[in-house]
Amino acid sequence: MKIRIKKAGLQTTVQDMGRFNYLSQGVPFSGAMDKLSAQIANRVLGNDINCAVIEFTQSGASFYVEEDLLAAFSGDGVFVSDDGRRLPSNGPVFLPAGNTISIGHNKSGCRSYMAVAGGWDVPPVLGSRSTYLTAKIGGFEGRCLKENDVLSSTGVLNPLNLAVYESLKAADINYPNWAIARNTFLPKDRNTIRVTRGREFDWFELSSTTDFFSQNFTVGLNSNRMGYHLQGAVMARKQQGELLSTAVMPGTIQVTNEGSMILLMADAQTTGGYPRIAQVAAVDMPLCAQLKPGDQISFKEIGLKEAETLLLKQWADLEKVSIAIKLKYA
Amino acid sequence: MTDKAAASQPVFYPLGENALTIEFGSVIDEAISNRVTAFNRLLNQKPFPGMYQTVAAYATLTIFFDPKTVINQKNITGTTCFEKVRNYLLSIKIGDVQNHAGEAQVITIPVCYGGEYGPDLQYVAEYHQLSPEEAIQLHSAAIYKVYMIGFIPGFTYLGGLDARLETPRKSTPRNSVQPGSVGIAGAQTGIYPLETPGGWQIIGRTPLKMFDAAREQPALLKAGDRVKFEPVDGAGFEKYHQP
Repeated sequence: MKIRIKKAGLQTTVQDMGRFNYLSQGVPFSGAMDKLSAQIANRVLGNDINCAVIEFTQSGASFYVEEDLLAAFSGDGVFVSDDGRRLPSNGPVFLPAGNTISIGHNKSGCRSYMAVAGGWDVPPVLGSRSTYLTAKIGGFEGRCLKENDVLSSTGVLNPLNLAVYESLKAADINYPNWAIARNTFLPKDRNTIRVTRGREFDWFELSSTTDFFSQNFTVGLNSNRMGYHLQGAVMARKQQGELLSTAVMPGTIQVTNEGSMILLMADAQTTGGYPRIAQVAAVDMPLCAQLKPGDQISFKEIGLKEAETLLLKQWADLEKVSIAIKLKYA
Repeated sequence: MTDKAAASQPVFYPLGENALTIEFGSVIDEAISNRVTAFNRLLNQKPFPGMYQTVAAYATLTIFFDPKTVINQKNITGTTCFEKVRNYLLSIKIGDVQNHAGEAQVITIPVCYGGEYGPDLQYVAEYHQLSPEEAIQLHSAAIYKVYMIGFIPGFTYLGGLDARLETPRKSTPRNSVQPGSVGIAGAQTGIYPLETPGGWQIIGRTPLKMFDAAREQPALLKAGDRVKFEPVDGAGFEKYHQP
């Protein structure tokens, strides 16, 4: 199973669920920005959820299928074949050699994913296949994919991968009549981001924390896999003084000395010295991953226990998806 | 001295659903840092199921864990992962951890000071009315402690800079600082592991690779290590240089 990149797109990288074991050495988590979509793409193929996937940013990328492919798409992008057929997301798709697939315009969202049966074949670096561009490590030679790059699958197929493959193999593009309802894993209101209070929440004026939970904030132009600048009400400090640098993580919302906010994302540095007003609930990070410059969001407070319960429930529900697919093809 | 700071009770707070931070204090202080280092060592010898990493900083230690595993630990009390992790940490006698700083061996880092490798040495020396040689002597005489690693992979924040070398950051950061560059920012000194923009005053460069993803331990130094700098000349730099 093999593809060749025709158009590189805005930022196309190989990612997995992240790099967990080198935080103490300053190496960030990385991994797919939208880990929910990335793992749905893997699960519907019968892959391990940590198999390498391709992350596309907005529209414009395209690739040529060099060898027959069992793939799965997910995320907010729209995948279209060269004869104009819109391909389904969140389910397996058989793509015979010779097709060209492009990522088309979608009115909302930012990132989309493509998994392949057995996972994309790139070498693990520090225990992960995720690309971390700042240190030029992981993924495909530590960089974004560009025109004419050839990606192959590992070729290691488990019995479930094989069963799905056999059921769909055909002369033309082929897919089953089922797909996972990704929306059921996301809240209906996709612009309200649930957060827990950050450690330094009380460093800010009441008027500012009131604004934080009542105003809209706009994702700034200067936003990338490391973090988003949020434009809107200024967060004024009632407690002055510097925060000693300490650990931060994806989802941490920092407030700069000017009172503007930065939402840290997958490639965020491991430590930071700005006060932390809030932490995005882990279950809502996929929503944040789909934001692009100009999008508006607001914040809603939940408790830590609720955030944890939501996360554990989402995990259990995703496991059920995998079990259902296993039963279907067993 | 800092007996009061070191003796204060640590504070626990969540960093999201996947991490907990222990705050030992809120200032840069050797005694507090030593508690962080000692507890970090102890915890990594006695990890709990689901714990996968710890990040030490100046006065905090953050513990990262997998909530799916932690919530199923029936023999640790607590109704949430945060409570379970906190209770586990309390059970390993966090309060007893004191100063074990003497254990760390001193790691020597060769540095070629001044010239093209240290374009700001002259400025730093003049700022303090020292000769460049005196500035080098002061910088290489001290033994530093790695307070933390952060910012980018392998970036070391070292404590122990002689007050006679404390120099503000450059007013305009450089677009590109070369890997191995040794810099000063205020009371801090540190080493850039990767090519990156940076505003620290660059006084020299080490030929050692501070971060190399191909190594078993990619970062040459870790939080808690002791470090000293050894001046080398251009020939010495080339001898150590690993392309």
